[in-house]
Amino acid sequence: MAVEATILHADLDAFYASVEQLLDPSLRGKPIAVGGGVVLAASYEAKAYGVHGGMGGHRARELCPQLQFVGGHFVEYQRLGDQVIDIMRDFTPLVERISIDEAFLDVAGSTHLFGSPPEMATEIRRRVRDEAGLPVSVGVARTKHLAKIASQVAKPDGLIVVDPQDELEFLHPLPVELIWGVGPVTKTRLAEKGVTTIGELAVTPSRSLEHILGRAVGGKLFSLAWNQDPRSIQTTHRAASVGAQSALGRRPISTELSLRTLRHLADRVATRLRAKERAGKTVTVRVRFAKMQSVTRSITLPAAISATSILAEVAHSLVTSALTDHPEEKFVTLLAISVSQLVYEPALQLELPIELGDEQRRPGTTAGAARWALDRSVDAVRDRFGRKAVGYASVSLSELGSIPDEFRELAEKDG
Amino acid sequence: MRPAQAILQGVLCEVHGESLRVTGTDLEMTVRTTTRVEVLEEGSVVVPARLATEAIRKMPVGAVTLTSTDAEVEIMGAGPRFSLRELPVDEFPQLGEVDFEGAIDVDGDELVAAITQVTVGASMDSARPILTGVLFEKDEEGVRLVATDSYRLAVRKLEGLALKESGLVPARGLREMGRTVGAAKMQFSIRQREAVFGSEGGSLTLRLIEGTFPNYRQLLPESYPNRIVVAKTGLLDALGRASLVAEDHIPVRLRLMEGGVEVTVTRQDVGGETEHLPGEYQGEAEDVMIAFNPRYLTEGVSAISADEIQIEVSDGLKPSVIKGVDDDRFTYLLMPVRI
Repeated sequence: MAVEATILHADLDAFYASVEQLLDPSLRGKPIAVGGGVVLAASYEAKAYGVHGGMGGHRARELCPQLQFVGGHFVEYQRLGDQVIDIMRDFTPLVERISIDEAFLDVAGSTHLFGSPPEMATEIRRRVRDEAGLPVSVGVARTKHLAKIASQVAKPDGLIVVDPQDELEFLHPLPVELIWGVGPVTKTRLAEKGVTTIGELAVTPSRSLEHILGRAVGGKLFSLAWNQDPRSIQTTHRAASVGAQSALGRRPISTELSLRTLRHLADRVATRLRAKERAGKTVTVRVRFAKMQSVTRSITLPAAISATSILAEVAHSLVTSALTDHPEEKFVTLLAISVSQLVYEPALQLELPIELGDEQRRPGTTAGAARWALDRSVDAVRDRFGRKAVGYASVSLSELGSIPDEFRELAEKDG
Repeated sequence: MRPAQAILQGVLCEVHGESLRVTGTDLEMTVRTTTRVEVLEEGSVVVPARLATEAIRKMPVGAVTLTSTDAEVEIMGAGPRFSLRELPVDEFPQLGEVDFEGAIDVDGDELVAAITQVTVGASMDSARPILTGVLFEKDEEGVRLVATDSYRLAVRKLEGLALKESGLVPARGLREMGRTVGAAKMQFSIRQREAVFGSEGGSLTLRLIEGTFPNYRQLLPESYPNRIVVAKTGLLDALGRASLVAEDHIPVRLRLMEGGVEVTVTRQDVGGETEHLPGEYQGEAEDVMIAFNPRYLTEGVSAISADEIQIEVSDGLKPSVIKGVDDDRFTYLLMPVRI
């Protein structure tokens, strides 16, 4: 573990709302919310009234009658998010982006070029403000966990450096919910035991934490309360699986709906696989029924696949089998596809033209190779002109809500 | 081997006359070996296979004595003494005697060599059982051994043998042949349900795979327009160097042209390797580019026994034919990789 504080956590402040205020100067200084039925993000002016992300629109208006709702410019969010990450990469190649608007940096190797970590943090904040026009808060510490807490404490638009000598003094007075992984439920459970600060958490016997929270979580939180976090920055995260899901509200299931949704999901998953030059042998689907009960079905294929249409067909047959096994279920609320057992596949191994009865599912057959070539052409066009430029006719390109797929993908972290 | 029943973890040892006969089976594959021993007392016992094998292997040099006592078998060397719990003899499958009636005599070294060559092409994927077998096919000239995993096809001719039936024999069992019953003089026979191979050392019985092997003959082209002849060792060495970079599915590219073949591999983020191998090229095209999975290519070239090999190519999307120069006994058909 580094002895010096060289880990930075940079987090754009009220990101979506800040972008809206950047794009439309008349919104600046005003309480605004991105979204409609639900608040996706609130500006700091709105947060002052208690409005926060995830809140119902109705409730938000009650709290802040002058609240202005604005439509999401998702393409702009992505462009600006990427621009900010590029600024960070000017300081170190060790940038681990964890969502559209936040990233960890390890600057241990760059201090001889750009000065001390706090100096770099200051410079990053200045450049993000000048070049992207956005406020960003940065925490500097010895560990990722502490850097992330520091950036939350630094908000809005601030910088906090945690000196390695003063870590526990910094950490222990803070509220427990700043620890990564402490959500509302855990917070309530801890509060019932009289634990509200990280310091109180640190002196709670780990056995009783495990009793309240389960062994894995309890032990982990106890370690974090004592600032034990050995994770390093991961820039070359190798996904073990690639997946996507689609919430359907509550819809009566039909073959047509299943096929349409699965083709759309397969398009996203397979495109991402090919972009990483990967293919996977195991396809898993998840079907969630109306009463929140989920079933999964999976199959391991003889050869790894990355073709959109093959994936859609395999997923559809799995979903069909799940539905057949549950004839009592009439409504489906979610469908998901994931592909695992990934292999690196920069080229397509062709197959001999022998008949085995599963030609359509095998990537190297004449049929499979034709699909492979088609997918590659689609990928190439999309790389140049964007996802909407071309696609399968069966995949209606914007049917699943107004959120563009590029944006969904930033949120769908491969794991 | 993954025996479902506990008894199949054991081997049956039968002492009779002047010999010890050891039988192991997973019901799909049965191996029997016979060894001359000094018999003190006749009898049968089932011992845990893996443990007994390792125990005997680790004995000091010299005679080993097996003694069956109450539910235990003692394995004694000069000093060490193992007492292993027996498995019940009456639970061991009743396999019957091996029947070699109608079996054909064969040069064992050639048979084992042929099997080693051809099993390279068989699939290991149990989800496609037919492709995990080697087809023993009788034809006018003798017997053809054929295996394919759908990416490549290996064909080996054994001439002058008059087989009565054709059959699909599990490659998994055939791979055990060399170290179980392989010998200079052998005999074998393909029956309706099983294949049996035998020598003075014992016998190997393999249950045939059910199903129809793909029609492979239509895959073998009459002739190809472009052909290169190169030294086998030179090509293998080049592939070995390329494989340093090409691990993990990276294709190796061959450019066939006047004067030889250029072998190239490149890997994003790592680097590459390229070299030129001298060879004789004959072709319609000035040069031909084709890419292969380096492991498949290496395995095929290694399986060829000739010093010089020829690679016949149509184009970068059709299978190549690889074989020894002036040697039609073994043919390796390999599908390329599309880049």
